[in-house]
Amino acid sequence: MRKNKTMTPVLSVTNLTKTYPAFQLKNVSFTLEPGKIMGFIGRNGAGKTTTIKSMLNLVHPDSGTMQFFGLDMPAREFEIKQRIAFIFGAANYYAQSKIKTITGVYRRFYHQWDERLYQTFLQRFALDPEKKIKQLSQGMSIKYALALALSHHAELLILDEPTSGLDPVSRDELLTIFENLVDQEGVSIFFSTHITSDLDKSADVITYIKEGEIFASQDKDRFVASYRLVEGCCADLPVELRARITGYHERRGEFSGLLRVEDAPLFATLRITPADLETIMVYTERRPA
Amino acid sequence: MNNLLYKEFKLSLHPTAWLFLPLAAMLLIPSYPYYVAFFYQTLGIFFIFLNGNTTNDLFFTTLLPIRKVDAVKARFITVMILELLQIFIAVPFALLRARINPGPNLAGMDANPALFGLVFVMFALFNIVFLPAFYKTGYKTGAPYILSSVVMFLFVAAAEAVIQLTPAIRQALDTLNPAYLPQQMAVLLGGILAYGLITLAAYRASARRFERLDL
Repeated sequence: MRKNKTMTPVLSVTNLTKTYPAFQLKNVSFTLEPGKIMGFIGRNGAGKTTTIKSMLNLVHPDSGTMQFFGLDMPAREFEIKQRIAFIFGAANYYAQSKIKTITGVYRRFYHQWDERLYQTFLQRFALDPEKKIKQLSQGMSIKYALALALSHHAELLILDEPTSGLDPVSRDELLTIFENLVDQEGVSIFFSTHITSDLDKSADVITYIKEGEIFASQDKDRFVASYRLVEGCCADLPVELRARITGYHERRGEFSGLLRVEDAPLFATLRITPADLETIMVYTERRPA
Repeated sequence: MNNLLYKEFKLSLHPTAWLFLPLAAMLLIPSYPYYVAFFYQTLGIFFIFLNGNTTNDLFFTTLLPIRKVDAVKARFITVMILELLQIFIAVPFALLRARINPGPNLAGMDANPALFGLVFVMFALFNIVFLPAFYKTGYKTGAPYILSSVVMFLFVAAAEAVIQLTPAIRQALDTLNPAYLPQQMAVLLGGILAYGLITLAAYRASARRFERLDL
């Protein structure tokens, strides 16, 4: 895609702050450009869901601004919600109702509802409209939530843990759908997950939230390339270098840890390998034993 | 709003709301505290909210492209539809009761326009106590319902006490004698007015509280 500096971001969050008795979201800021997949990562309790709920006006932030397509949230909430779709895990509502009943209600709310597209998703996901929600497995229920979300031509998908509970084949299937939506229809995706391997494959940008603060928000490849995993014998590790290692872990005379790429030459005698998102997250979050 | 009402009746309504409507026929019982026939519908409404917690109704609704206050408005309209239906369905039974058995009701007010006026006030009290208390949290149903039941009971007890213990009022209101229709119609109109005003206040308080709520 041609780079256009003046393109309006599909989502921009600025200095979002929310204080709870035991938790604080501090100055959360990030921007999602059109046609990109942003992976939103962080451990449980880091503030992912609170951030998403604030974005959707379900939670009232103490301060900060949110814009979708250049429109202010919540002032333009009504209009914005027509153009976005969200999935909070599985379809865990109206367990006693049939798929066709829920869809019959849901579709009325969207001007751009595409019944043909919806039917193709039902077929592709092998969903029977006569089934009740309670008869669906976790995976099928997620697929139903997706079929609803994907059938009104949303320009931005906000997904909270969309793949947890799915088998590897279904996950791959889903990621392919996401990639096609982005590549062929120019949809943007905000993808919150702790299954970082999904993002290794598909994300363009990573926003990493840690203890309520944005730890990093940048191009995924650049983010991943700025770290290295170092491993070796404890005896081979010079004492003065240990302080440069993040998430240092030692067992049976062997150690491992995370390095900034610029520090890697200092460790040339040890085994240095590229890090992936999971490694970066695990070592960054690891507390000293 | 039409879409939200469609959603209310397709997905949110608990079947008991329909089951309680025919209980309006209890007005045919010769001697009975007729308020009870109407009280059942508040139970039906309570079940909608209770069931909503089980079905994640608020979660589904607030994620739709609507304003948060619209969810409250749609629910209020649903509640009012059920309350008014309960009253309308009771009217023919009240007329029938007067025709087939014109004797007095020994257990309280006769089924006349004044009774309906008092029922409007009873529903209004339910609306102002239960609904804003629910929308304060978005999930607590039990305590608000108990509280609203107590308030309704106290109102009915007080109204009956005043009517039964004041001979002049009793003569005018607790009777099927058509000579007192103007007085009874006045009570009915007063009840409808109170219902409208109090329910509007309940809506405003509920919408304000729900808007403030972090879900």
